[in-house]
Amino acid sequence: MTTATAIKLSHLQAMLLFALVISVAFGFLSRRQPIERVKYIAWSLFLFLLIGVGIAWAMAPFSR
Amino acid sequence: MADETSARAAPSRDSKREAMAYFIGVAGWLVPGLGHALLKMWGRAVACFLTVGLLVIVGAGMRGNVFSSRGNDAFDSLGFLADLGTGTFYLVARSLESNGPDVSHAGGDYGTRFLAAAGVLNLLAALHAYEAARGRKA
Repeated sequence: MTTATAIKLSHLQAMLLFALVISVAFGFLSRRQPIERVKYIAWSLFLFLLIGVGIAWAMAPFSR
Repeated sequence: MADETSARAAPSRDSKREAMAYFIGVAGWLVPGLGHALLKMWGRAVACFLTVGLLVIVGAGMRGNVFSSRGNDAFDSLGFLADLGTGTFYLVARSLESNGPDVSHAGGDYGTRFLAAAGVLNLLAALHAYEAARGRKA
């Protein structure tokens, strides 16, 4: 199947996609009310990105 | 008399409920979202199916490593267990990965993580469905 070679994502795109998908899954599993879910998803996504970028920034001096 | 009857009926009802909870947990593992669908939790069922499915398709599409049972070391075996967590979607990942994995690039490595995360996420969802069937989660 050609799909196997079709998907090429940058580091940032992969992180964004992963963070979004996992946040949505966590939001739906852990909250029942729609508004609570949206809040949870937004907060989880924010923390994923903040921690991801934070770790990348902290590791930057050791990249070379 | 009525108390005795209800006391005898309660363990039977509990064991039936427990068996049903196991069935729902296994169904949720085999087909992502099916456990929640059987409990009529439609939003969660659709979310589980789509998120696990998306992670598997993107992970295999990025040429991540779909581990097989013939692993060389403990990490391969753990990877296989994680991938197997996607249930029947494991077979989808294997069929999508016709060109084999390519972890020489970051994309392939990310794909491997996407596939493992899909499996672990589905196991979490199946466990959630099992607990919900037992009446422990809303």
